[in-house]
Amino acid sequence: MTKTKLSKEEILHLSKLANLNLSNEEIKKIQRQLTETLDYIKNLKELKTDKVDPTHHTVNSINVFFEDGQNNSRGLSNISTYFKVKRIL
Amino acid sequence: MNLLGKSILELKTLLETKEISSKEIFEYFLKRIKKYNKKLNSYLTVCDYNDKLKGIPIAIKDAFCTKGIRTTAASKVLDNFISPYESTVTSKLINSNFQILGKTNLDAWCHGSSTETSDYGPTRNPWDLLRAPGGSSGGSAAAVSAYLSPAAIGSETAGSIRLPAAWTGLVGLKPTYGRVSRYGVIAMGSSLDSPGPLTLTTEDSAYILKIIAGKDPYDATTVDKKVPNYLTEIKKNKKYIIGLAEEYFDGIDEQVKNKVNQAIEIYKKIGHQIKKIKLIHPKYAISDYTIIQRSEVSSNLSRYDGIRYGNGREFFADEAKKRIMLGTYSLSYGYYDAFYKKAQKVRTLIIEDFKRVFKDVDVIIAPSTPITALKLGEFTKYPFFGELMDVLLEPSSMAGLTALSFPVGLDNHHLPVGLQIIGRWFEEENILNLAYQFERETNFFNITRIALKKYSD
Repeated sequence: MTKTKLSKEEILHLSKLANLNLSNEEIKKIQRQLTETLDYIKNLKELKTDKVDPTHHTVNSINVFFEDGQNNSRGLSNISTYFKVKRIL
Repeated sequence: MNLLGKSILELKTLLETKEISSKEIFEYFLKRIKKYNKKLNSYLTVCDYNDKLKGIPIAIKDAFCTKGIRTTAASKVLDNFISPYESTVTSKLINSNFQILGKTNLDAWCHGSSTETSDYGPTRNPWDLLRAPGGSSGGSAAAVSAYLSPAAIGSETAGSIRLPAAWTGLVGLKPTYGRVSRYGVIAMGSSLDSPGPLTLTTEDSAYILKIIAGKDPYDATTVDKKVPNYLTEIKKNKKYIIGLAEEYFDGIDEQVKNKVNQAIEIYKKIGHQIKKIKLIHPKYAISDYTIIQRSEVSSNLSRYDGIRYGNGREFFADEAKKRIMLGTYSLSYGYYDAFYKKAQKVRTLIIEDFKRVFKDVDVIIAPSTPITALKLGEFTKYPFFGELMDVLLEPSSMAGLTALSFPVGLDNHHLPVGLQIIGRWFEEENILNLAYQFERETNFFNITRIALKKYSD
């Protein structure tokens, strides 16, 4: 986390990854805001975590399954199993 | 019959003794919504009375998918989205004799702590129309506070129930993560989101929690733990060891501190024990939460492609774009270890910290917010306003603990001050019990009844 000032290229790269179309103004604004945020969150470096495991789930459930053959009656639609979308051709 | 200010349980009794019909109750609220909603902007969608369902009306935050009813997450991306399915929470409520009154305003995608990032305009605080009601469940909070609904459902990722409850003078409960199903909740931070009630009384909160809690096969993160009968649990005369951490009073507004300290004196008087504890400073939780939440947001919001449903991604407003961008950055190649993985490790530290402290105390008490309701527009000054306002609420959210906020006084701007009680995982009955004891002793200084004075029929 040494470099925190984000360049325009990085913002454009991220916006492509996130499939967001940003205007030039938005790019400048986000550049500033992201840099400010990244500067603040640097304070996490003050906490030692070398011997610590990451937590992904706070209540530590393991192997929660939906049994095969159980009644999945609350699917998205009980009219059809298809999505209706706009015409593409 | 004068219904103004009646709690859920009071309305339930009136229905059971047939002193009033569910249609009359529903129409009573519709009239009030017609009178006050334009001013408050707490509802985005108001429902018609459905005689097949009957039941007590309840307002639902528009982040919950409600079958056949418009569901927007307060974003133009879902402006005309009619949900094809029912969330587990609303499904359970409907099966327990409730009926949806309407969908309430929120910060768009739950991104915020003031309801100002909504694409449909901010909701105003019923205590002062120039101020925010808090967020992201601000619409729900304003609706109950001004009695445009007898209770409401909100959701909390880190503060989104407790903060608006504090800023509008209500009882707001965040259940333990995994206690209430997230099936049908428009996801913000999947490892954090917790649906919960905003109510005028502790008993109402206990009553609603009993209905919505429980294992759900449609949400694998819900836990298979028995749901206690909270209404009977909260009436047991128990004495608790209450922990107070200096770190949670650091830099807090003097008036907030005073009201919270006065409330603690009341707990001492009732016979509870106070113990000083040390906790990791909440300022680290701001950073931790910002990284984890925004990472999960960037992933969760990637499903809105405008192809299968909703409008395209160009309909995302500023706040959503900002959060998606930071989340994408912290998860991207080369940065994942430094940001997301590090944040998940800090999360472990926070959890271990609470586990350690909960060996010596039963609950932790602290102010809910560093300051009372801010004026509308203030949030634009900060790049991560939401996370800053939620500083005292984030550590418990990161750990997945349960906590609630209730009013303990008014400051000299005549605005409510909220106190929070944080309990151990799955011990909602303890924090509700303590809140109930305070309510019995003080009636919350009548703060939850502001509608009786300012919002007459």
